[in-house]
Amino acid sequence: MSTAAYGRLRSRKRRDRILNIITFAVVILFAILAIFPIWWIFRTSLMTNAEIYKYPPSLIPDNWLFSNYEKTLQVFKFWKYLWNTMVIIVPSCLAGTFTATLCGYAFARLRFRGKNLIWALCVGSMLLPAMVTLIPLYIGWTRGLGFSDSYWPLILPYFCGGGAFNIFLIRQFIMSIPRELDQAATIDGAGYFRILFNIIMPAIKPAMIVVALFIFITLWNDLLQQMIYINSSDKYTIALGLTNFRGQLKSDWSLTMAATCLSFAPGVIFYLIGQRYFVEGITLTGLKN
Amino acid sequence: METIKTKTINPLQKRRSRIFSAEARVAYICLIPAFLGLIFLTYLPLVGVLGISLTNWTGLKSPVFIGLDNYIKIFTTDPYIKDSIISTIYFAALSVTGSMIYSLFIALLLNRKIPARGFFRAVFYVPYVLPAAAIYVGWSWLYEGNFGFFNYVLSELGLNKILFIADSSFVVPSLSLISVWLAGNLIVIFLAGLQNVPVTYHEAAEMDGAGGWHRFRHITIPCMTPIIFYNLLMCLIANLQVVTPALALTNGGPGNSSRFLTYLMYDQAFVNYRLGYACATTLIIFAILAVFTTVLFKTSGRWIYNEGGDDK
Repeated sequence: MSTAAYGRLRSRKRRDRILNIITFAVVILFAILAIFPIWWIFRTSLMTNAEIYKYPPSLIPDNWLFSNYEKTLQVFKFWKYLWNTMVIIVPSCLAGTFTATLCGYAFARLRFRGKNLIWALCVGSMLLPAMVTLIPLYIGWTRGLGFSDSYWPLILPYFCGGGAFNIFLIRQFIMSIPRELDQAATIDGAGYFRILFNIIMPAIKPAMIVVALFIFITLWNDLLQQMIYINSSDKYTIALGLTNFRGQLKSDWSLTMAATCLSFAPGVIFYLIGQRYFVEGITLTGLKN
Repeated sequence: METIKTKTINPLQKRRSRIFSAEARVAYICLIPAFLGLIFLTYLPLVGVLGISLTNWTGLKSPVFIGLDNYIKIFTTDPYIKDSIISTIYFAALSVTGSMIYSLFIALLLNRKIPARGFFRAVFYVPYVLPAAAIYVGWSWLYEGNFGFFNYVLSELGLNKILFIADSSFVVPSLSLISVWLAGNLIVIFLAGLQNVPVTYHEAAEMDGAGGWHRFRHITIPCMTPIIFYNLLMCLIANLQVVTPALALTNGGPGNSSRFLTYLMYDQAFVNYRLGYACATTLIIFAILAVFTTVLFKTSGRWIYNEGGDDK
């Protein structure tokens, strides 16, 4: 290597290192900005009201008042709301994932009459915004089937295929699995369901977890549907409970923020457990276009 | 060799000709849930929303067919519709632009070789897994008029305080800042896309003396266009249907400044019980969404770079 080329390489390496340091600094800056609102909410939840209104405000509470949380729990029925939320989320995730897998399998592997038509209807429903069907569905569930003030309208839709997008995701994933696997099983005498349960499902476990996580996030973030279907306060979910709680305690910011932090907690814990799959899942969606 | 290959019998192929073969039966059984869902949760309600929009149904008396009256009323006498359309599009424009720039920028940073990448990715992603209702309640405290964090910063800078979500000219930008903050999933998708940009392209360009900006402009961006399109579409559809901040926080106020279209529909259907009128509103939102997505799809051919090239 000539000295000139060597010099170029060295200067390039140095430039890269400087660039990396700058990048790192900028990332840290933005990460602090991104996490800051959560910290501000959390530190507020540990303060007395006097301290909240102090000027200049302190970044760290003087004495960490965890008793705020005890006080909050007396008014804000967090455990009840969490339980109610899980009563909706758990069956929805399980049923949605299972039915989406069934459909994805049929579309990816089986031949049948009307496949193209059903597939087109399925994909078409993906582009349909959710709010378009909201009112007829509300009428159907509450008037037609009498499910007023009940969780069924929130859960039952997930027994119906788990959403077009999830079916699509599972189908793409199954198609990436070599067909030779199920052919070999067929020769060994396995039926279609055997193949699905014993070969396909174990192979697409990551995709199934991803679908479950997506259903979780959807229900977790939904306020509109919970608001229209659930009326009585002992059936409130976290989202409803918190929205209502805020109305009750408008000025008591430390208690409101304590309730907010409590509502944050399950999501964060859930995320820490399933982090790998979350990221993997989002990645999958991004790439399968 | 070739003749042997073509004659190899696929064990699954034998049953193809039969229509009600075991294979088809299994498929139909698998599809029963989805089929019911498509009929009863999607297409029938779609017909329903059209039908109800032509009536004056309030939910109490039986509906009376009134033709296009609801639509005419919406465009002539509705006090909210104009503000709603403006605030919805304003919100979506700010949120989509902000989210796209922010998430692409962060993804580009995280794509460089920096320590603790996984940790940082988690930091930017975490807001997305918090319940939306809680996020808006939490942020309402940051935006608080006298003691909120943002007003503290403003007063330190010697500026006047702003009421953010209680001021009709600031509420939409304030809410869209929150939705930009929630763009963690876009970051992860962009990051995945960036990692798929072939390194060889960059190396080749560098050999030819292309600088960082040139490589970004002529390699990274073209390779990323399909992902940019996907994110743009998802982001647009989600933000045009915005409703949670209005439900959790502002109730459409102050004034009508955050009465987004979906909130308007909610308000008419579930607060005022004007079901027919609300259905008509819904279809107007649908039309606006359809226009935007169609424009996006139509123009996409011009700027999306296809890896496959010209061979279709």
